[in-house]
Amino acid sequence: MTDGLHMQLGDELVKEQLFFRKELRERIRWLIRLRWIAAGSSLVASWLVYYQWRTLPVVTVDLILLFVLLYNLGFHFIWRRLQTGNPREVKPLTIFTHAQIICDFSALYPLIYFTGNLHSPLLIFLIFHVILSGMLLSPLSCFLYCFSVPAVLGGLVTLQALEILPIQPAMFHGPSWVYRLYVPVDAPDMVPFFLLFVAALFITAFLVTSLKLSLRVKGRALLQVSKALDAGNVKLRALYKMVTEMGGCVSLQPLMDVATRNAARIMGVDTCSIKLLDDQRENLIFASTFGLGEEYKKNSRGVKVAGNPIAQKIMDGTLSVIGKIGEKDYSQYPEDIRKEGIASMICLPLSVGKTVSGIFCVYSAEPGTFSEDDVKFFSLMTDLTALSMENLKRDLDKSWFLQKAAHQLRSPLNTVLSMLNLIKNRYLGPVTPKQATTLDRSVKRLQILGDVVADLLNLEIKRMDLQKVVLHPVTAASVLNPLREPYQVLAAEKHVDVAFDIDKSLPPVLADEKLVDDLFTNLIANAVKYTPVGGAVRVTLSRENSKHVRFQVRDTGIGITPDDLPCIFTEFFRSANARQFEEEGTGLGLVVVKEIMDRLKGTISVKSTLGEGTCFTCRLPIADRPSANEDN
Amino acid sequence: MSAGKDILVIDDDRDLVDTLRIVLESKAYAVRTAYDGQDGFRRIEEKIPDLIILDVMMATVTEGFDLACILNNRPEYRDIPIIMVTSFPKVMAETGPDTFQHILGEDWPVSIFIEKPVDPEKLLTAIEDIWKEKDET
Repeated sequence: MTDGLHMQLGDELVKEQLFFRKELRERIRWLIRLRWIAAGSSLVASWLVYYQWRTLPVVTVDLILLFVLLYNLGFHFIWRRLQTGNPREVKPLTIFTHAQIICDFSALYPLIYFTGNLHSPLLIFLIFHVILSGMLLSPLSCFLYCFSVPAVLGGLVTLQALEILPIQPAMFHGPSWVYRLYVPVDAPDMVPFFLLFVAALFITAFLVTSLKLSLRVKGRALLQVSKALDAGNVKLRALYKMVTEMGGCVSLQPLMDVATRNAARIMGVDTCSIKLLDDQRENLIFASTFGLGEEYKKNSRGVKVAGNPIAQKIMDGTLSVIGKIGEKDYSQYPEDIRKEGIASMICLPLSVGKTVSGIFCVYSAEPGTFSEDDVKFFSLMTDLTALSMENLKRDLDKSWFLQKAAHQLRSPLNTVLSMLNLIKNRYLGPVTPKQATTLDRSVKRLQILGDVVADLLNLEIKRMDLQKVVLHPVTAASVLNPLREPYQVLAAEKHVDVAFDIDKSLPPVLADEKLVDDLFTNLIANAVKYTPVGGAVRVTLSRENSKHVRFQVRDTGIGITPDDLPCIFTEFFRSANARQFEEEGTGLGLVVVKEIMDRLKGTISVKSTLGEGTCFTCRLPIADRPSANEDN
Repeated sequence: MSAGKDILVIDDDRDLVDTLRIVLESKAYAVRTAYDGQDGFRRIEEKIPDLIILDVMMATVTEGFDLACILNNRPEYRDIPIIMVTSFPKVMAETGPDTFQHILGEDWPVSIFIEKPVDPEKLLTAIEDIWKEKDET
């Protein structure tokens, strides 16, 4: 497990404790409120009873009730102070609860005594307090409070029987009725009641404490489930990040390194490897490793699949987990495996469809580390890795083909041009003016052909880059700034004035430096190209609104006809006036611009008046601030 | 002053080799030619040239670089100036030093890149510059 996951678990435990502590806090507040109601209504009730039967020592009872209200006020303030304390500390809350129950008991026993002892209707409040202590405190505390009840009540009766304490009149039996007090042996009617009451008390205590315990166990189980879900979520997010990272790789080795590094981290182990089949599909060779010793890699170079039943089974997909290595002769190099400290591993075939290209393994130093869920998850990871590798291979093949094709096309072209240069420069003898003109025109046409080939190749390579690129925050001004000088020089040669207006305080846009550079370069170069001598080009980078940065290129060039406007972003399109003004041009530059804007999820608009000028406006989305989630 | 200097042209495009030969011989350089890296290396072993004009992409995409790399690893051949001719000077200029410096080491043996199609004047000027630089050191 990584530190990150450890912290996650630590947090979960605190969460669990906080969850139960919150419950305790709620009940304590509830107790204080109930006490206000109980003591207040008892005050009123005491006078009603007194007026009805006159047997109640109302002043004593009310004094006790006033004492209850007074200490409850104290509790109220203590409670408010406790609220500001550290929510993780549980001890103050427990002490506070004990104090409340002890205070309540010390008020309840005199009240019970003055309202008729075993005949008192207030006995029921003892049960309430046993329930409360069962809910809020430990089972032991609850039972201790339970024991106090028969002890105190029994003590009071004994003291009364010994005539040390006077016998009080019973509450609801009229003014003359003073209950007869029997010592337990002489009072067969009171003994069963007393015993029953005590039994009820203990049964209540037992029920409440056991119910609470089972609720805690269930709560804990629930938290476990939520913890497992959270852990799964973390893993899936990490996997998503890994796939995105692999998608950004432009060659196979870094992609596999990303895979092994992430796999070890996500699976919570120290070592991981990818072995690939060689061209003859006979040997498995280490292609990328994480955490494995050099010695081991050297010795294990080239595992022959044919001679290794384990490797064969792994490639078939019939064997995936090796729980204990070393017990059986599972590997070709058991000694090395032991030295490397590998005790168990998961190995899965890297395959797309039916073609297996290699195997992906994670190793653990503990035997039997991996569960069935781990295998399922790793299988998902392996499939995604295989897919990413396959995609990249396809791209690389295409890119190789394009480069080769471009080279094949350009080589003869360049040689012909070199030979024409030879003639033009009179290395092969004198050239007549007419021949020179024809040579110049041939050279020019061939150069245009070369440009088309180059642009086509660039377009395809850019299209592949566009799919791959991982967008990130980019300061547009820092990309635009370096373009100032070269374009001002270029424009000066053409006698065109180029001005840059760059707002330096702009927030970063969600893009990629290379793409933004291509975008700016294409639009500025276009504007300079199609602006006649004496014209002006104005490049502005500013804030559009809270979500977009605006990049604008305005020129006083030849303009575009309304009919041509909808076509300018299509491949090879060149308007008639553009061709007339400038012979060179492939009609691919704006295609790149449009595709970049699509990839950046921005918009581009163009306004133009024929003969007056054109204005391209790009709106680039501002990058959101990176959220904590993305970092995980 | 530079007449008679021995220049080795290595390129798989025979037409281009012939073209370069005409240009170089116009300045009275002694021109030897080879049509692949291996052949070129043999010519160098026969006699160390004063300059090599080397194509990048031949049978393989990096054959020219591979040869430059081999020469750079041999002390006796390390000091031969190399002019590289390529169809993709921009790409080479952008990625060349990064991509190949770690193979070729700090002493980048290639004196200059020249774009194809070869402009005769440009090539001759570049060669003159190399002679000048050599004379100074």
